Amino acid sequence: MEAAYWRTPVLAETLLVARKDLRVEWRAKVALGQVAPLALLILVVLAFALDANSSLLELGAGGLYWVAVLYGGTLLIQRSFDVETDDGNMDAFRMSAIGAPSLFLGKSLALFVQIGLLELVLGSGIALLYNVRVTDWVLLFVAAVAGTVAFSVCGVLWGVMSAGLRVRATLLPLLLVPVLAPILLAGSRAFETALGVRADAGWTWASLMFVIAAIHTAIGLGAFGFLLEEG
Amino acid sequence: MTSTTRSNAKMTATPATRVLGVLAIAATALMAVLGLFISPADVIQGEAVRMLYLHVPSIWIAYGAFVLTSVSSILFLRARKRREDQGRHYDRLAGSAAEVGVVFTGITLITGMLWGKVTWGTYWQWDARLTTTILLFVTYLGYLALRRLPADPMVRSQRAAVMALISFINVPIVHYSVDWWRTLHQKASLSVGRRPEITGEMYWTLLYSTLAVTIVATWLMIHRYRVIRLEELRDEEALAALISSRLKNDDGSN
Amino acid sequence: MSEVTTVVTGWGITFIIVATYSMWVVSRGKIIGQELGIGEMEQADPGKDADATTDL
Repeated sequence: MEAAYWRTPVLAETLLVARKDLRVEWRAKVALGQVAPLALLILVVLAFALDANSSLLELGAGGLYWVAVLYGGTLLIQRSFDVETDDGNMDAFRMSAIGAPSLFLGKSLALFVQIGLLELVLGSGIALLYNVRVTDWVLLFVAAVAGTVAFSVCGVLWGVMSAGLRVRATLLPLLLVPVLAPILLAGSRAFETALGVRADAGWTWASLMFVIAAIHTAIGLGAFGFLLEEG
Repeated sequence: MTSTTRSNAKMTATPATRVLGVLAIAATALMAVLGLFISPADVIQGEAVRMLYLHVPSIWIAYGAFVLTSVSSILFLRARKRREDQGRHYDRLAGSAAEVGVVFTGITLITGMLWGKVTWGTYWQWDARLTTTILLFVTYLGYLALRRLPADPMVRSQRAAVMALISFINVPIVHYSVDWWRTLHQKASLSVGRRPEITGEMYWTLLYSTLAVTIVATWLMIHRYRVIRLEELRDEEALAALISSRLKNDDGSN
Repeated sequence: MSEVTTVVTGWGITFIIVATYSMWVVSRGKIIGQELGIGEMEQADPGKDADATTDL
């Protein structure tokens, strides 16, 4: 088992799984057609909540961005596993030679691409609607990548946890949000620094997100097999 | 079910746990007398210090229970393929410990907020300990929700065990990130959490309260464990009855 | 709220939570035990155990 795991081309399998997920998504166009517009609506609603106070919106833009990512991302995670369980694909995966680590990495990669696209839409929306000015583009980009990696990895781990269960639509957010809390915290603070609202520690927060991503990747590689198993 | 399974399943009370139950009630009564009447009021906190005799033991018990959940989850994942009972014993242990842990985390939050109201003047401070505790509370509520879902028992138990492990690993991550959040950006504007040194009678009262709360929690955990076993037995019997009625129907129609 | 009221409230809520939870656990055990026909061994006469299970 151990030896076979090292001999199989994990990278090729990972790309295969990711390509499959993205192709399914490309055909259905749910992420771009439904989730991204909804996330934009969230930005509008948050402006309602803050009374369209432009200085408040500018101050809070970093945090509000990640709240919108949380909302849209949760929907994408849900979908990423509904696609599998609806058609009984999980059984096909179990039967196939694709290892659990490759499946975990592949799904994470596909989710990373989708959430990344969602963030592009959201980022543009925030730049236009909330009147923000970026002072540190490098930090903004690195923090966004770090946060998205951490988000995707955690998302796949918790998505498979609730996959195939009857009340998953409500269960997934409940399980996911406490785990994502440090990422939201770190992402918000890092973005505030990149947007020039706060003067400190943006890089510390960005690196914290990489650490969180690394820890959850390690857990995912080790534990994904347990989560896929049937009785 | 066969008669052997039945005789294995005891009711939730046995002579030993009855003794433990009586002990728990007596210990709690003595704890109330010590904590509310005999121990003195604090010089700084006044009467509010009496809240700590509930608050501090509760969080200790909660943390202990969550450690137990994690250890049992590891043992379950190791035993599920090897042992005859598929490691169900460890799964039940993890479930009952988590539930008791959630109850005592809730008590910690309530007593802490009330204590904060009289000591700090506010129910809630966004400090590392409080924020971690409320996230911990919600995390394990989620764990209990996962355990309660209708699904194949083994699949559900496996997922719950992995979740317990990840949640436990996540506790320090949450704690340190919230700690950074408050220390990096708030230059000591609040000096919360500086609890005064406690000595003498207060110290002994706190130590005794911890013992009493431990007895109560142990009693609760043992009973909850047995109830989980009864629940499993009931589900198995329901399933067996369903299968046999299906088989009969099939015979009739053929 | 005064200090004494707060302390009384805190202890009161705690006792109510623990007592309610204990009673819930015990009663749930009893109910399921009855459903399964596992009577309380000490109370029921072993010989009459089978009869006791029928009056659910």
